[in-house]
Amino acid sequence: MEPKAVSMEMRDYIASMGGESLSWCMQCGLCTNLCPWRLVPGSTSENFNIRYMQRLGQMGMEGFEDEEVLFACSTCSMCQTNCPRGVKIVDNVRAMRASLVGAGMAPAGLRPILGSAHANGNPWAGPREKRTDWQKGLDVPQFGPDTEYFLFVCCHSCYDPRSTKIAKSITQLLKHAGVSFGVIGAEESCCGESMRKVGDEELFTKLAQSNIELFNSKGVKKIITTSPHCLWTFKNEYPELGGEWEVIHYTELLAGLVAVGKLSFPKGLEKKVAYHDPCYLGRHSGIYDLPRNLLSSLPGVEPREMQRRAEMSLCCAGGGGRIWAEAAMGERFGELRIHDALAQGAEVLTTACPYCVNMLTDACKSLDKQDDLEITELSELLAAALP
Amino acid sequence: MADSLNGNRSILVVGGGMSGLSAALEAAEAGSQVYLVEKEPYLGGRVARMNQYFPKLCPPNCGLEINFRRIKGNPLIRFFTMAEVEKIEGQAGNFDVVIKTRPRYINEKCTGCGLCASAAETEISNVFNYGLDKVKAAYLPHEFAFPMRYVLAPEVIGTPEAEKIKAACPYDAIDTAMQPEQFDLKVGAIIWATGWEPYAAEKIIYYGGGKHKNVISNVMMERLAAFNGPTGGKITRPSDGGEVQKIAFIQCAGSRDENHLPYCSGICCLASLKQSTYLLEQNPQASVSIYYIDIRALGKYEDFYMKVQADERVTLIKGKAGEITEDPATGMVTVQVEDQATGKILKEQYDLVVLATGMVPSSASGKVPADVSYDDNGFILSTQPTAGIIGAGCVKRPVDVSSSVQDATAAALKAIQATCRR
Repeated sequence: MEPKAVSMEMRDYIASMGGESLSWCMQCGLCTNLCPWRLVPGSTSENFNIRYMQRLGQMGMEGFEDEEVLFACSTCSMCQTNCPRGVKIVDNVRAMRASLVGAGMAPAGLRPILGSAHANGNPWAGPREKRTDWQKGLDVPQFGPDTEYFLFVCCHSCYDPRSTKIAKSITQLLKHAGVSFGVIGAEESCCGESMRKVGDEELFTKLAQSNIELFNSKGVKKIITTSPHCLWTFKNEYPELGGEWEVIHYTELLAGLVAVGKLSFPKGLEKKVAYHDPCYLGRHSGIYDLPRNLLSSLPGVEPREMQRRAEMSLCCAGGGGRIWAEAAMGERFGELRIHDALAQGAEVLTTACPYCVNMLTDACKSLDKQDDLEITELSELLAAALP
Repeated sequence: MADSLNGNRSILVVGGGMSGLSAALEAAEAGSQVYLVEKEPYLGGRVARMNQYFPKLCPPNCGLEINFRRIKGNPLIRFFTMAEVEKIEGQAGNFDVVIKTRPRYINEKCTGCGLCASAAETEISNVFNYGLDKVKAAYLPHEFAFPMRYVLAPEVIGTPEAEKIKAACPYDAIDTAMQPEQFDLKVGAIIWATGWEPYAAEKIIYYGGGKHKNVISNVMMERLAAFNGPTGGKITRPSDGGEVQKIAFIQCAGSRDENHLPYCSGICCLASLKQSTYLLEQNPQASVSIYYIDIRALGKYEDFYMKVQADERVTLIKGKAGEITEDPATGMVTVQVEDQATGKILKEQYDLVVLATGMVPSSASGKVPADVSYDDNGFILSTQPTAGIIGAGCVKRPVDVSSSVQDATAAALKAIQATCRR
């Protein structure tokens, strides 16, 4: 066995990038065993061990920088939520990535993504002026001094053709419910949540500062997000940079309106529907019941629960920058979700996150199950049931 | 304090488990009048539900039997079962306590003949066996119960079945009109010894406790191994009663864990080592895996640890077990763990998995109705704002049986002092 060198400099550097809690780890290995990578076969599963990766970080030792190891984590928080010592594992992953990406060594596959976010304010290579294209023919209100809520639409739902349907459905629902809301438009930038997760601190700060300046200059007080990722970073990362608003996910707002009888879905849906908990809405934000309440408010719906649900929900594999990663067929977490939903007799698999929709749709296609299971975003089911 | 000079010299002991029994007896044998109040219909607490003590592997019954004889022979002790403390007022030397009792529906004329149980049809979950089996609605809490008196479950009160059960009793011992009662006690000191509860295994979702049939907790394992348990002492798989060939113990199941119990209960390692011997004694061909973070066998218990560790049928694997999955077809349960010695991820199948869950002080949920201080986990602190209220045993910290007895003896002395301090 090769002798391994401990580097106190590297260790201190990782700690300074946000990995302070690495030293709390007692090496019990619970994280590695609860990791979704244990559920699939293949090379990443064999090589990526979150406990071991953190051990290397703890000692400042070489070996974690291999792309297959360092960028495998989807930041689903299954390990972090259950860690007996409360180690902030997701922060540690981010800090270890930042130690490389900050030095200009981002993996080749991520460079165009980061480049687009730098240049266009979104990671999807979409021109800034096309950010509002999804609004065509919808008459989406503009945010003004008298508007209550600023609706922040995730870049994914501004540019990805499939995902724009989510932005449209949410707009339709908010308008129908008479919510005072508006968008700002082309000046908005990506929230930067995933940029920071892949280790690009500089880019995240740039995007966040640009948004904070913009939102504050427009007099934003309350924000509705379409994506749980934007929700999480606005709530948890923006305040220390000066962005402090009341932020809610659209499911929270709509569930509240349904509860007081201000919104209902008379058309209903005669389908068996399974709900997939997005990690950033569920484990990261603690919202499990409200989307289920919304789903149950659809007359005729037969909700089906999957084996891994709520706190124990299985990640779609789209977080932590993994939405841009290539996983081989048979190694995609999303495929397990499709099998699970079908096993519960679901005809529709719904969720409340654009990344999850993306990953689950891909998985469903790769399994050739499109005819058996429809992948939707919850807002789409709700909007279709409006009068 | 001046009041205590002329105050009441009697002592109330709350909880009839090993700590409460010991404290009551020590105080009474030193000449104090003692009232002992127990929530369950029998004395003996958790210890009565144990199969064997570590490290001597002797049954708890002899020690309990001696204590019950001491109680029977001591006119200074009065005990009340199915009773709880409702209210405490006053101070050391002068406490006014309200006790509330639940109806047993069977009076002191009961001879323990069991004809009522034969007449009963309704079955209820057997709490004594942690729900592993059922008992008739007229039941003796366990074979060795003290007092040796049956209980009629409230579930059948007001039904024709209750009348049928009543008619079956030749001693006129059944009184279905019995009501909850309340009475006052005046005492000089109170010993709070309400013991502990096992941490709810189903809270550790990834272990599947309460969901997978062949994943049980360590307290259930005691019942499975006990001669008066649901299987007559044969350790079998709850799913199908099949033989247990391979067993795993998961240490620190919900212990030393910020999401569950942040502390170490100190007894679970010894309990699992002990329970390994239960199976190996019954089935010499069986094999045992113990998954642990650290084995904590302190002081003289090291010898017991070494002895079990030396048995080649026992494998100790350092690693906190992750997910436990069940094969619904066979009932086999698979433990996934990273072996910290090799870094390998193991997936092993077992007939039975025992979760070594820790101790939750009963005072975490059942508070003392008086000004009493607790730590963050609900344990009663050693120093209290109200003089004359003294914690004893597992409500103070998680301890084994012999430490409970020692702590209870110390509590008895403090209680006596509180009634006559000058």
